Amino acid sequence: MGKLRKLSVLALCLGLSSTMAFSQDDDWDMGDWGEEEEAKAYQITGFIEGALGTRLSSDPVIDSEGTLRDLRAQIQVDYDLAASRLQFSADAYYDGVLQQSKLQVREAFWQGNLDSVGDWGKNFDVKIGQQILTWGTGDYIFLNDMFPKDYQSFFSGRDDEYLKAPSLSAKISGFFDWANVDFVVTPKFTPDNYINGDYFSFFSPMAGQNIAPGFDVKSPLKPDSPEYAIRIYKSVGPTEYAAYFYDGFHKSPNSATPLGEPTFSELQVVGASMITTLGPGLFNAEFALYDSKEDSEGTNPLIPNSQQRWLIGYKQELAKNFTGSVQWYLERNDDYDALIANSPAPQFEIGRSRIWITQRLMYRALQQTLTLSGFNFFSTTDQDGYFKFSADYSPTDDWRLSGGFNIFYGDEPFTFFNQFEDASNVFVRYRYFY
Amino acid sequence: MKKQILGLALVALSFSSLASVDVDALVKEAEKVAYYAGDDGRSDARMMIVDSQGRKQLRQFTILRRDSQDNGDQQMMVFFSRPADVKDFVFRVEKHTALDVDDDRWMYAPGLDLVNRISAGDKRTSFVGSHFFYEDVSGRAISEDDFTLAEETDTSYVLKAVPKVPDSVEFEYYMVTIDKETKLPVLIDFYNKGDTNYRRVEAVKIETIEGFPTVVRSKVSDLANDAYTLMEFRNIKYNVGLEDDVFSERSLRNPPRKWLD
Repeated sequence: MGKLRKLSVLALCLGLSSTMAFSQDDDWDMGDWGEEEEAKAYQITGFIEGALGTRLSSDPVIDSEGTLRDLRAQIQVDYDLAASRLQFSADAYYDGVLQQSKLQVREAFWQGNLDSVGDWGKNFDVKIGQQILTWGTGDYIFLNDMFPKDYQSFFSGRDDEYLKAPSLSAKISGFFDWANVDFVVTPKFTPDNYINGDYFSFFSPMAGQNIAPGFDVKSPLKPDSPEYAIRIYKSVGPTEYAAYFYDGFHKSPNSATPLGEPTFSELQVVGASMITTLGPGLFNAEFALYDSKEDSEGTNPLIPNSQQRWLIGYKQELAKNFTGSVQWYLERNDDYDALIANSPAPQFEIGRSRIWITQRLMYRALQQTLTLSGFNFFSTTDQDGYFKFSADYSPTDDWRLSGGFNIFYGDEPFTFFNQFEDASNVFVRYRYFY
Repeated sequence: MKKQILGLALVALSFSSLASVDVDALVKEAEKVAYYAGDDGRSDARMMIVDSQGRKQLRQFTILRRDSQDNGDQQMMVFFSRPADVKDFVFRVEKHTALDVDDDRWMYAPGLDLVNRISAGDKRTSFVGSHFFYEDVSGRAISEDDFTLAEETDTSYVLKAVPKVPDSVEFEYYMVTIDKETKLPVLIDFYNKGDTNYRRVEAVKIETIEGFPTVVRSKVSDLANDAYTLMEFRNIKYNVGLEDDVFSERSLRNPPRKWLD
């Protein structure tokens, strides 16, 4: 017995020393390369996440102090075909603010090229199905990107990726010497996930105060018609140019029926953008002309005015791991005199123009395991603003801890950002990847 | 590609007293061997990042590279596959060797379907959280330093490199060892003002692939903090015929599977 024990201790010591001797080599054993997964052709990834957010001051028209109470699981399945891919990702979550279980299919698409159809097909890529779509040059400001956004998630401190909501669309991309073209058709109009009173109250000019009806615009007030979006883009040296077209509807229900019910009115947008190097940084400019087709004279107070929107921006690295950016943004109502003359509540109307100035500062520290980001919108015309701060810490591949706050501020209760003053919140999230 | 890893920049100015070694030509050859093998290449790669507490992170990706010309401009795409939170991110670089032209860089974030153009940055910052710098991956222009021959052995040359613009970098100088046979830089030690060797980049394993001597394992060590990153390459192929249009926004949004598997 005693001998055996001695032997095993000796074996242990030997084992230990040989481990030490080869530790340098063992370092190179980083586990498998996922090659067996490639053989299987499909791959499953995902995470589980808990998120908590709470109001900084109570909202008189909403009971709950909670602005974010998510328990969420995301699963992503990729299936690689010979020259194309099927991808599916969905979030199942319990929303503790609404006390509802929800399922959101964020992606369920086929992506590939038309090579197999014929020689002409090699210039075309296709992505069909539920998908997230983004284009344009703005940072948190979208002029020509008319794809659905989720402002409820953005304001409540969910991860940035939830700022974009999915749509069931077909995207066809053509690549030619003269330019590249994206054509997106969304057969059934998909609005933003707009602020509707579920989590945050908003100002009603009719009521003269904030309300939180938790409304949901349904057919027939929600259009069933398709939306079309086109982008034509080309790079010349370090400069990227793009032209855009959209035909569809205002993405938020900021129109009303004669009975006062919120609805979506028709909208057409044309615009253009460019981004290029300037000094040590990047300069971008973009404009968009919003043609509010059901109110071409601007005389209908129930429908938004046509607008011009302009954006210029600049970003650069200020120091090692520290970048900064500024943007100047203008919205100008085309028929402002008619708007005021016909408004039932002109005291709550904004000025002819709205100007935002934004600043972003981002710093990465601790070998890039910690990212700090501050983003501020300030309106010189409305005297209000929105400051968003977040910190993300991920020292391993397995988890990420995030926290931050969203602060809305201003002078008047009815302005764009300050109407959400009682929505100001702090949040924390923990995400575990599997 | 592999070769890229250990890059160094070298330009020789001076005339060495040690021997009739043409330092200028040597440095240029080393740059070519380390970063410009073939006209293009593809490789799978992965890194293990080990911090001073022994915590490990993994990054796995595929690199595509195409040269405009040897020792000149290059195009590069990096497709990430692991871990889960960087899966499907794609990084694109248009490397410009002219000293007054910054590289163009883009990052594709799949969750937002966002192509984000990145402003020119300090190239001596971490590459995706590792101890490798961007410059270690894409190559430090040899025109940025003055090189002199410090030592010659039977198997290698040791050059001392001093930056022409000292304020632009964190090191005072570095010593690079170039293997005589392959002309590959195999060891680079960086020194700060106190002559302390605080950072090391080394070729751990070299193989000849399709006739090109290639670093298949390399290691960078943060000697001051006892942390390091290992990088290993597999499935390396040269002269595969990558076209110019592979290096474009198209590939950011729809990765060219033909070159990734």
